[in-house]
Amino acid sequence: MTGKTRILMSLIYAAFVVYVFVPLSMMVVMGFKDSKFIGFPIKSWTLDWYGRVFQDTEVMSVFGYSVLIAIGSTLVSLLIGTWIAVLLAGRKFFGRALIFSLTILPAVVPGIISAIAFRIYARLLGIEPGMMAVIWAHAVHNVPFVVLVIVARLSTMPTNYIEAARDLGADPLVAFTRVTLPYLRPAMIGAGIFCLLLSFDDFVRSYFLGGYQPTLPVLIFSKLRSGMSPEINAISTIVIVLTAVLGVWAERSMRRMNGASR
Amino acid sequence: MSQNPDTLVQLQGVSKRFGSVVALDDLDIDIKAGEFVTFLGPSGCGKSTTLRILGGFEKPDTGRVILDGEDVTRLPPNKRKVNMVFQDYALFPHMSVAQNIDFGLELKGMSVSQIEARRQEVMSFLELDEFGSRYPDQLSGGQRQRVALARALAPDPALLLLDEPLGALDAKLRSQVQQELKAIQRRTNTTFFFVTHDQDEALTMSDRIVVMNGGKVEQDGTPEDLYLRPASRFVAEFIGETNLLNGHCLGMEGDEVVIDWLGTPVRARAGGLQPIKGSKVTCSLRLEKLGCVPSRSGSEMGIPAHIANKVFMGSRTAVTVSVDAAPEVLLRAYVDAEMAIGSVGDAVQIDWDSANLALLRQ
Repeated sequence: MTGKTRILMSLIYAAFVVYVFVPLSMMVVMGFKDSKFIGFPIKSWTLDWYGRVFQDTEVMSVFGYSVLIAIGSTLVSLLIGTWIAVLLAGRKFFGRALIFSLTILPAVVPGIISAIAFRIYARLLGIEPGMMAVIWAHAVHNVPFVVLVIVARLSTMPTNYIEAARDLGADPLVAFTRVTLPYLRPAMIGAGIFCLLLSFDDFVRSYFLGGYQPTLPVLIFSKLRSGMSPEINAISTIVIVLTAVLGVWAERSMRRMNGASR
Repeated sequence: MSQNPDTLVQLQGVSKRFGSVVALDDLDIDIKAGEFVTFLGPSGCGKSTTLRILGGFEKPDTGRVILDGEDVTRLPPNKRKVNMVFQDYALFPHMSVAQNIDFGLELKGMSVSQIEARRQEVMSFLELDEFGSRYPDQLSGGQRQRVALARALAPDPALLLLDEPLGALDAKLRSQVQQELKAIQRRTNTTFFFVTHDQDEALTMSDRIVVMNGGKVEQDGTPEDLYLRPASRFVAEFIGETNLLNGHCLGMEGDEVVIDWLGTPVRARAGGLQPIKGSKVTCSLRLEKLGCVPSRSGSEMGIPAHIANKVFMGSRTAVTVSVDAAPEVLLRAYVDAEMAIGSVGDAVQIDWDSANLALLRQ
């Protein structure tokens, strides 16, 4: 690469970073502005909006509710996703490709379509809109990500680990729990965090299946209808920080699993 | 089924095919308790399949596997008193050395104190004492190899399978570990079933070598037998370097066969073979058993030849000679590096002891 193109590439990258982060930083900055009106100039700063968020029992309880849904749906996704991955990673069998495609499908179906489909199906099954329905919809949406990560991890596991375990006296179940599962652990942690974030962030499915109890994104949306307030900026900033921390941690643990296996 | 009390393992008529490839063709082998047996052969010869059948990782298509008087043909690996040292060791990466060794002991249902005692015993035996809390990725290749051996030996198996366990080590370490392995086998008195494609490993460590080719046994004997008295052309060429002498059978004399080689009658050890008079035969003569001296005028000793090539190799000199009776026939010999053998084109006399010329199965 010549010097000129290198400079050009750097400039394009810098422009991209500005493009992505300026709106986000605007939003963060406005959360500290001591005025109800969003915009420049900023005459004085305050932490009041954050204080209000933490005193707002509705926001706090909805936050807890969202976390609960995220954890619940993640556990379900991990269980089902690991199960399917182990099934798919085994020997080839008839219909393997079909099962794989069907498993991946929920990840690529547009959210609005799958949300409506879930709503109709839930009614047919007699599932009331609410927590269980949201957990169910989030889990189905997240399973493909778990499967992809676990299948990738399994494909790097030497088959002779299992043979060594069997050779030393382990039956297939013991070999799985004592050798395969620990090997999958970093992948499961990474996939789990990714699922937590996906669920916490989801709006469409939560909106359609949540009934009267909103999740955090749904609450923010409904608050917006009564006008933009810096309180929303404060909530959003907290969410950005939390998800960024979790996301970076997940990314690191995923990267670590490609290196050392412990 | 009569059985020698010393016999630990019997393979009876074992065959295995993978698709259209015959991996093992009606194999019959007995292994004595305490033996160090090596299965030697090129890749695809069936040695690894034999090992995997003994370990329980493959089921033979036909035939039976008897271990310690018990038919284990259909038994899964976890139900067999057989442990294995895997080619790349297959140490569990998430467990420390101690945990790796404990794995098999725990599954044997031993108590915590028994496990502790046995682990210490095995670890001090293999000089691993200070590595108990290390993880496999913190160990060198040689250390990992010892841990794999410790893990497989800890449950006190009746038969230990070793699947080319030295392949991952560098050449210098390998020869050292060869000696160690042999010493360990002698001290534990465990039966070792060793699989390799490396003839040096096989020759230095084994009590007995089974040379495999195409799913069949080529020869089964001591390292000395195989090297000095190869039974077939395959064995002669696979193990060590050799000269092949082609001729016609003139007849038998006791347990020797007389061969017309380039018009000269020579004697070879028949080794139980009885070729038909007039048939084509091939004999093997090891390079170091072919004598080669400078010709002196009037000497009637040996067969006249000329030096075609000469390579100094340090401890010895490799000489290629062209036989005068048929200049296209080239034989190779090792001679003492300090012997004044002459230079390329000089006349020499070659000869050998008839006991070292081994008739090969066609």
